[in-house]
Amino acid sequence: MTADKRPDAVLPPGLRERVMAASHRARPAGLAVPEISPDSPAGAFGRAAASFFQTLNLLSDDDWHRHVLRDLDVQGLVGHLIGVEHDVQRGISGDTEVASVNHVESTQPAALAQSGRAPTATAAEWREAVDTTLAVAAESDLDASVAIYGVPLRLRDLLVARTFELWTHENDIRAVADLEPSVPEPSTLRPMTELATALLPFGAAVTDLHEPISVHLVLTGPGGGTWDVTVGDPSPQSAEVGIVMDAVGFCRLFANRVSPSDLDALVTGDARLATSVLTAAAALALD
Amino acid sequence: MEPTDALLAARLAAGDDYALAEAFDHLAPTVYGAALRILGEGSAAQDVVQDVFVELWSHPDRYDPQAGTLGTYLNLLARHRAVDLVRSELRRLARQARHHRLSAEGHHPSPGDAVAAADTADAVRAAVRLLPDGQRQVVELAYFQGLSYREVALATGIPEGTAKSRVRLALAKLETVLDRQLLESS
Repeated sequence: MTADKRPDAVLPPGLRERVMAASHRARPAGLAVPEISPDSPAGAFGRAAASFFQTLNLLSDDDWHRHVLRDLDVQGLVGHLIGVEHDVQRGISGDTEVASVNHVESTQPAALAQSGRAPTATAAEWREAVDTTLAVAAESDLDASVAIYGVPLRLRDLLVARTFELWTHENDIRAVADLEPSVPEPSTLRPMTELATALLPFGAAVTDLHEPISVHLVLTGPGGGTWDVTVGDPSPQSAEVGIVMDAVGFCRLFANRVSPSDLDALVTGDARLATSVLTAAAALALD
Repeated sequence: MEPTDALLAARLAAGDDYALAEAFDHLAPTVYGAALRILGEGSAAQDVVQDVFVELWSHPDRYDPQAGTLGTYLNLLARHRAVDLVRSELRRLARQARHHRLSAEGHHPSPGDAVAAADTADAVRAAVRLLPDGQRQVVELAYFQGLSYREVALATGIPEGTAKSRVRLALAKLETVLDRQLLESS
């Protein structure tokens, strides 16, 4: 921050408080500008699916058979996602068994079933499975709890988590196909950052981060915003940590595709605690 | 991540009021100084500081880090706002003087309004004092005493048309004086 090289004037008492109060009256803290209208949960998921499908249409036959994740090539990964759609549809429809199944084991048959099929057939089956999920979700209560793979979420949050999943795997595929990464539209990114920050305390619990920390999290760029989140065990006394980073980078972290040390973050307060918070952010991701 | 004006602007856009506090603490003294140089001591300069930072907070995207530093941007905002205040005060004084002449009772502003207005009026009067004698005289008669063009003509012994043209010239000159104050403070 650079000031003019002119002699500073001494500010009158109370001016700072007056200016801050007037500013907050003009625009509440935490709200990003320019304001964007966030996608609905189903809208975000549908948009992520459209982008994913567009990427599939860019792939050559060789790309479909490149290794991408675990023991899967691209076609196998799309098969895995077909399996996920079926599990999600079961969960939304009230099948309680899917609450406790393993994410990889449950979808492995669908992944292996793609071997030897035409890539276009795999892509078409996945697209149809996504459309079915959207149709089932449209007839369901968005506030109803749906539990799959050991994680209970409201349906509206599950759809945004699925948005994360499709965006993440789309970029897994784009990386092996030597394509530039895809970045969500700001209207899609906003529900993603909202969900990721809301789940931060749960990520802290999963990583045994018990120390009470008040996190002032600023995610810059379209789709970002400012959140004050408390993680760790409830306590009247908490350490204060400030973290500023790019919103897309934070989403990549939440998807467990980058580590905290890979990110260009501005940290205030205890750096060790800030790293713990960022590690917690990635703890809920499922591959 | 290095703290820069671009990052500060991005934080402001993200709704980070800590960033606003940082910007105020670093830059408000120079912004206040810029306003004081045009408006003189008083509450009007504080109003300018408030307007400038509320503008920054409400529309952080209007600041382009590629175009210059945040300090330069805010000082420019302050100077423009201060000169706007001076110009609007000139218009207000003229309206008030005319009203006093036409109204039997006159207008009695509140003590607070009077004090705030006096600061800006001082700046206007200072600018008027820089005008050439002939122009200064007609402006003082027309704007500070509220005389009509005919009355200005009678009081100064010049034709009414000449009084009108002198007032027009004086106002143009006044704009130039105010603009020069802006330039000299930049």
